[in-house]
Amino acid sequence: MIPAVTPELILYTTAIGLIAIGLAGVVLSSHLFRMVLALVIAEAGANLMLVLAGYRWDAVAPILTSRAEPAAMVDPVPQALVLTAIVIGVGIQALAVSILIRIRQRFATLDRKEAAERMDAEIAATLGAPRDISQEAPLGERPLPTLPADQINMRGDSP
Amino acid sequence: MSTNLVLTIALPLLGAFLLPVLMRSSVAIALWSGPAILVYGCWTVAELWLSGFAQPLSIAIGGFAPPLGINLYVDSLALLFAFAVQLLGLVFWPFTLDQESARRQSLMLLLVAASTGLALSGDLFNLYVFYELAAVATFGLASASGSGAAYVATLRYLILSGIGSVLTLFGIALIYSQTGTLNLAHLAQLAPAQLNNSLGLTAFLAILIGIGVKAELFPVNTWVPEIYATASTRLSAFLAGLLSKLALLIILRLLLLIFHQPEAAQVILILGILGVISGELAAWRAKEMKRMLAFSSIGQLGMIFIAMALPDGKGMLAVLALALHHLIIKSGLFMLAEDWGGALERLRGSAKASPLGAVLFVLFSLSLVGMPPLPGFWAKFVLITELAAQVEPLYLLGLTVFLLATVVEASYLFRIAATLYSNPAPDTLSEEIPKSKGLSLATASLFGAGMIAVALLIAPVGDGLQAIAAQAQDVDLYITTVSPAVSGGSQ
Repeated sequence: MIPAVTPELILYTTAIGLIAIGLAGVVLSSHLFRMVLALVIAEAGANLMLVLAGYRWDAVAPILTSRAEPAAMVDPVPQALVLTAIVIGVGIQALAVSILIRIRQRFATLDRKEAAERMDAEIAATLGAPRDISQEAPLGERPLPTLPADQINMRGDSP
Repeated sequence: MSTNLVLTIALPLLGAFLLPVLMRSSVAIALWSGPAILVYGCWTVAELWLSGFAQPLSIAIGGFAPPLGINLYVDSLALLFAFAVQLLGLVFWPFTLDQESARRQSLMLLLVAASTGLALSGDLFNLYVFYELAAVATFGLASASGSGAAYVATLRYLILSGIGSVLTLFGIALIYSQTGTLNLAHLAQLAPAQLNNSLGLTAFLAILIGIGVKAELFPVNTWVPEIYATASTRLSAFLAGLLSKLALLIILRLLLLIFHQPEAAQVILILGILGVISGELAAWRAKEMKRMLAFSSIGQLGMIFIAMALPDGKGMLAVLALALHHLIIKSGLFMLAEDWGGALERLRGSAKASPLGAVLFVLFSLSLVGMPPLPGFWAKFVLITELAAQVEPLYLLGLTVFLLATVVEASYLFRIAATLYSNPAPDTLSEEIPKSKGLSLATASLFGAGMIAVALLIAPVGDGLQAIAAQAQDVDLYITTVSPAVSGGSQ
């Protein structure tokens, strides 16, 4: 059965879709700035969801304009909540971007893997202990002899 | 007098924003105002506790009665954690005297304010706001060392935590769209009728994963080893010891008050078991003390999640005992690790260089593993008896994993203890052996003294915890305390 397409359905789908796109973006992007952007998208979805939680299609904005009996109003609570959530979100995004600038200054890269690699190396160096797990030196015996360095081209990049 | 309790949140918050300004006019006042605020907070909570606190109370903020307004809910459990926050804030206070420390101190005050709010608040959205506030303060403190690794670790933590807050917000929206309220007491009334369905379960899972980021829940704890390795040891001790417990407290409250579905408990149980397995095995492989403690803390919190999953609140006492035990022990161990960083091999012979530190380490380890006279034994004993009384296979699996994890724990902790007491390699100079000394050793001794005191007074402490657990479990008491008018439940 296909449900009737109402504005409500479209908006709910949009909200959940935005969250899904954002989460997928965080998991899949290879650039730290894109991860932050994906987070922004996911937050937009969550905020939309919160607005929808108290919305009524047949009602007006919850502002008292006269002393007369007020018409049906939209629930003001989620709107106040979403304002708070947006402010918090913007603050965290600003913090994230400022941290991104610092990472770029220290490591001259914003590539996700490269930054994580540099971080692991730096942690190992400051702690003065070997790394627990490393992609270069994985655990256990290798089933096949390792390839010579010049033949490793897994990503298909041009050398 | 009870309204003074609001000041334990408001004063650190005010102090956090005033400190940088104060610093410009008078350094001395600025440096002492932070500890003064925390001492006042400790005193306020302790006074309320000592003046015959028996019945929980609800404080309506701004005079708006709940469920319309936001309220603080104060029972023994909340009070206990509020006291722990203020006290540990004082113990882990960044005492260095320079301009940079003003920033760190104001972030620390912010963290204390938010953490106290997490312990006391009785409103779901208010909890979310405090949670985010604590997160922001943590980001600032974690990146304070200024190294590239610290920034990368903080950003990765920020993104994971951001995902967590999106999920939490999503869960809150679902709950609100279903019930039209966010007050925990009001929700507790409406939950059996309106949230006992798949929508309620979805909301709970979203919030569980969201809040679980801070509670080091299994799939969302990748930040733990990175942050604990790059941030200052004192911050790590605060995060591992206290903030994770506060996140746990929120999940516990939601579980007790609102979500009674067996599926919710099952998910917590499975994630807890996975957390124990992954955490303990990673700790066993760790080659450095701080990382080992980080992983072991994931395993310990997994054990607490297993206790939480017991049906009908049977695990409540075990949750409390394990959480408080972990709070004391892990804080102490982190303080010892401050001077004992680096490869474990370097620690050979440290017992001679700092005998007190080594003795403390052995004591903490024995308690963590569960040696009979020490408090860790009783905490684990309660959990084992409750788990063994269950018939469902999943709980028995939990029991098995729990016992195996204890063996693994013993193996890696005693390995370090053995290293401490072994002779140093012949070619090392005595200056090269790391010593545990100064402030960190004093702080660790404080936690050691606390642990021994609990071990000596185990009977009254156990009774006290039992009473706290019983009070926290009483849903009707929570509802009637917050909104006496609707106690009939005819909403």
